[in-house]
Amino acid sequence: MHLTDVIGILVETVVLGSIYGLVAIGMTLIYGTLRILDMSQGSMVMVGSFVGWGVLVVAGWSPALAILFAFAITFALGTFTELISVQPLMGRRGFDFEMVTFITTFAVAIVFANVALQVFGPFQKNVSPVVSGGIDIYRGVDLSYQNLTMALVSIGLMAALGLFLARTRWGLAIRAVAQDLDAARLMGVPVMRLYPLTMGLASALAGIGGVFLGAKFFAYPGAGDLPLLEALIVVIFGGLGSLPGTLYAAYTIGLIQATAEVLVGTTWSLPILYGIILLILIVRPHGLKGRPEEARL
Amino acid sequence: MSAVTAPGATVSPTATRIGRGRALSGAEKAGILALVAVAVLVPFVWSNDYAVGVMVTAMITLVLNISWNFVLGIAGVWNFGQLAIYALGGYGTGLLMLHTPVPPPLAILLGGLLAAGVSILLAFPTLRLHGIYTSLLTFSFAQVFLFIVVNDPAGLTGGSFGFPTVRGLYSFLPPTTALHAYFWTVLAVAAAATLLVAWIRSSRLGIALRTIRDSPAYAAARGISPLRYRVIAFAISGFIAGVAGGLYLSYNQSFTTSAMGLTPMSIDVTMLVIGGLGTIWGPILGTGVLTGLQVSLVDYPGIQLTILGTILLVIVVFVPSGLVGLLSQIRSRISAWVAEDEEADDAAVPIAREES
Repeated sequence: MHLTDVIGILVETVVLGSIYGLVAIGMTLIYGTLRILDMSQGSMVMVGSFVGWGVLVVAGWSPALAILFAFAITFALGTFTELISVQPLMGRRGFDFEMVTFITTFAVAIVFANVALQVFGPFQKNVSPVVSGGIDIYRGVDLSYQNLTMALVSIGLMAALGLFLARTRWGLAIRAVAQDLDAARLMGVPVMRLYPLTMGLASALAGIGGVFLGAKFFAYPGAGDLPLLEALIVVIFGGLGSLPGTLYAAYTIGLIQATAEVLVGTTWSLPILYGIILLILIVRPHGLKGRPEEARL
Repeated sequence: MSAVTAPGATVSPTATRIGRGRALSGAEKAGILALVAVAVLVPFVWSNDYAVGVMVTAMITLVLNISWNFVLGIAGVWNFGQLAIYALGGYGTGLLMLHTPVPPPLAILLGGLLAAGVSILLAFPTLRLHGIYTSLLTFSFAQVFLFIVVNDPAGLTGGSFGFPTVRGLYSFLPPTTALHAYFWTVLAVAAAATLLVAWIRSSRLGIALRTIRDSPAYAAARGISPLRYRVIAFAISGFIAGVAGGLYLSYNQSFTTSAMGLTPMSIDVTMLVIGGLGTIWGPILGTGVLTGLQVSLVDYPGIQLTILGTILLVIVVFVPSGLVGLLSQIRSRISAWVAEDEEADDAAVPIAREES
């Protein structure tokens, strides 16, 4: 392995890890707070990619507007998803809440994907790069401004999320609910209003991720499938509900995938990644940072 | 997870504990017999090849759903990787038909064994995990398998273009006769799978599986090993799914990746949930109702899945126990009303518990 390979792998690790982190951190946030696994997170990436296409290509507006619109639209869709697929099941007995919401959010994802198929058609739409151009870092290792922006915005958003959770009243409320639901209720946290907000916020992060992923690849109704799968692998690996675990996992998985891509090619990178995760799970069934006593129901 | 409660089909309070009992009540046996008897006659009465073909496909899906229901509903392992196992059975059968002189029925059985083997291998890492991690791992297993097949690095599966054409079970017969032969073969397999699962469900193995599902602490206290019984469940379920895959390949004389993507997974999960997980009649009802719905929506392919997704959402939110649960609730309401039982409403509670 040459030095160019090593630098190439490192650059790709940061880019992949940041975008995985952005999509997966929403899932972690939702799992930590609501104890559900949001399968509609992938459709938010898809919606984001179409918003990016609509704003950048059809309307010809600036990338900042695309991000803003993606945030607003996917925030609204995420809130709506929570209200129709999770809220009605809260507090009812006689079934496994985690599993049933897994199915209901999956149902919502089916509807979103097929509405998109109906409205936009099955064909991949090219989205112009959010930012064009690039720099040569080291002897032929290119870093496009597109990838650089993607990594920087993702890292910035994750930092903003961290600040939001640490400093604001609503952020503290989300963390309080994640730590101890009953105590948070007794302290007067309006839990039933907090849940839609959390899911809207997480969906909006995935939506912004979708704008970038759409510009990197394409906008089409299946644009959320692979990111969903990758986010799932990240959250299993990191341990559900652990924000630091998700971050470590996102970059570790970015590193594994970038290495596999450089050494054996793109075709095998996902199967290799999956094999490694399988081995890790046999040793650590709750991921890197997941706590064994997570089950609450 | 307190009390160990009972199959939704029976409403008598004495039956609300898991017991050995009979696999199927007299009425249920009669129902299945009548259904099979009517179905056997269909190709004679209804000479519409399209309709018979739809039913063949539906019954292959039914066999897959029976296998899925066994591991998901009866064993209570949230396995979402079943379509990959089904496809493995199909591809295994196809490779045998294409490259070896093995007779087609044997190829289908061997495909089933291959699927069972991989299912067992999948069981070990899966059963290390609990709760939602199980569904995550198996769901990603199916997706990664799909990804490998689509990219087809080894050149075995034909990738997204589909498997090369094989001869199938009845290629020596004229088309309409072959179709009818498939109809009866698949009907026999579906009936056999239903009876097998019904029998296992009330056998020692089935009782152990349901106890592990409903009350893991009690099962552990009685020395029932979750790993051993659930691996057996994976093997049986994998074999049935693999046979279904082999039948699918044989009937279509090919196998494409569109049989194992997110779309068929959504449809199958909807069938299982709408029918009622963990019950014997659930897969039959769910597959029947959804096939009818799909056929009636065939002129509107665009909105078909949108409607199915909406139905899945509505059913899960309003009736988490599915049609079988709903029917037995209604039945128990009526019988309670007939008996003028004061506690009529409570009769529904143990039934609602079943589908957790």
